[in-house]
Amino acid sequence: MNEIDATNQDPSENSNTRVFLFVFLMLCVLTGLSFWVANSYLMENKVVGWAAMMLVSVAKALLVILFFMHLWWERAWKYVLTIPALFMGVLLVLLLVPDVGYRYMTYSKERRENAPQPAVREPVVGKSAVPTLD
Amino acid sequence: MNSKANPSEVTGTTEGGGGEGSHGHIKLKYQPAVPVPKGKLAVWLFLSTEIMFFTALIGTYIVLRFGAPEGSWPTPADVRVLEWLGAVNTFVLICSSVTIVFGMEAAKQDRPAKAKKWLIGTFVLGCVFLGIKAYEYNSKFEHGIHPGAPRSLLYDRADLNYLSAVKSNLDAEILSIEKEKTALVSESAAAHDHGGGLEDLILIRAGLVQWTQKTVGETESPMMRELALESLAHQINPRGSNPRVDAYLASEIADVKNRIAELMGQQEIIDEDVREMQNRVNALSEELKLEPDDSRKSDIESKLAAATEESRKAATKATEVVDLLKPLTDRVNAFEQFSGIHDGLNEHFHLKLPMVIPSGNTWANTYFLMTGFHALHVLGGLVAFLVLLMFRLDRTRAGLMENVGLYWHFVDIVWIFLFPLLYLF
Repeated sequence: MNEIDATNQDPSENSNTRVFLFVFLMLCVLTGLSFWVANSYLMENKVVGWAAMMLVSVAKALLVILFFMHLWWERAWKYVLTIPALFMGVLLVLLLVPDVGYRYMTYSKERRENAPQPAVREPVVGKSAVPTLD
Repeated sequence: MNSKANPSEVTGTTEGGGGEGSHGHIKLKYQPAVPVPKGKLAVWLFLSTEIMFFTALIGTYIVLRFGAPEGSWPTPADVRVLEWLGAVNTFVLICSSVTIVFGMEAAKQDRPAKAKKWLIGTFVLGCVFLGIKAYEYNSKFEHGIHPGAPRSLLYDRADLNYLSAVKSNLDAEILSIEKEKTALVSESAAAHDHGGGLEDLILIRAGLVQWTQKTVGETESPMMRELALESLAHQINPRGSNPRVDAYLASEIADVKNRIAELMGQQEIIDEDVREMQNRVNALSEELKLEPDDSRKSDIESKLAAATEESRKAATKATEVVDLLKPLTDRVNAFEQFSGIHDGLNEHFHLKLPMVIPSGNTWANTYFLMTGFHALHVLGGLVAFLVLLMFRLDRTRAGLMENVGLYWHFVDIVWIFLFPLLYLF
């Protein structure tokens, strides 16, 4: 068989268990943290709040990738896979920023006609349309 | 098998015996690009395609969500999203990631029984995740939030389209209850499914929906039209306090009550007129009967004709006033009945009338799309677990276990990103 056996595990498997449990604890903490951020003062400036929550998510994903998916113990080949994946995950989304801006600033005719109306306007004080006899 | 294959290890020896005219067979050593088993490499490549897949969906959501102007995206309360439930789901998936890692370690240590137990634990946690997801989906469906037409009851703005949808929905509802009533011929049938009975629905229809139709049809000011429709939407499904609508409703009711008082005053006068006319007609016809003289008769007959005519006119006027009064009194009744309800008619009477939630449909689309595909991936993972459970999970199967674990961790990572994007933003 020409299979290459990637048996480059950490020799002492017991310590792995502790690592995993620690990572699990960190993941729970981070989840609670993102929940807290969502309900805290950081949300007053929405962009700061969102950036904080995304950072927390990235940290959690990193923990899962490095430890649960065992990439921490792998060799250089991990970069062959992870860097393109990173590009696809991050750059593709960042490339959409101009689209977000365009959609925020510009309404097509059809969208304008059917759009929901969030703007607050002055209350109108006056007669209501009650029918009259004459 | 060493894992440090050297590219320089190209052995260039000939086969066994000497020169039989055979050229030197160069024995090349297989040099994989990445020193991992083929299965593992395949799973990693598959995961990169999955990244592209979910990036597309999440990217769409990002453009739609952040491209929506301030205030026009539904809040979590609007669309019945419970953030804490999402956090629980995140926790469940994280636990399942941990259990499968331990399962893989057990398989590597050649302890198949332990590995199986961990795998079963992962499977159970995955089922718990899907169960919570099903509960969430159900609570959304209950409130009329569906991925799209035809079941979706979400409208972006209160306009004439919305009004006709509310009207047809309410008509269908009332019709079905009435059919039930006639079918079962029992009082209880009317209120079995609905918090309110038939009378409430009829009052809603007459005092709210038909009144709004009337207002919209008769007013000339587009602002008034908008306010009327908005107030209808607000009463069906209030999205927080709306002082504009409150002010409009207050002034409208005051006007209606004034108008009713006026009309009732006029009605009294007209009723008196009617009675008077009727008396005159009666008197004249009496006279006619008793009058023997023909020439005088024709005179009286003409007077009688005129009087009958006037009496008829007065009667028509009376019915006109009654017709004018009916929608006004319906409106006042509806207002008095429903003004104390703060959570909206849909909630209070367990109705499913169309609701106005700005960008609600877009939200529902993206939400169900992303969580739906994610749930399908979770389901696929569960199927993989079931298949895996049929094997003996010893050292030889550690690679297989690792690959399935990689897939499951990826599913977990996708949820780690979905959770804040959908629940917390």
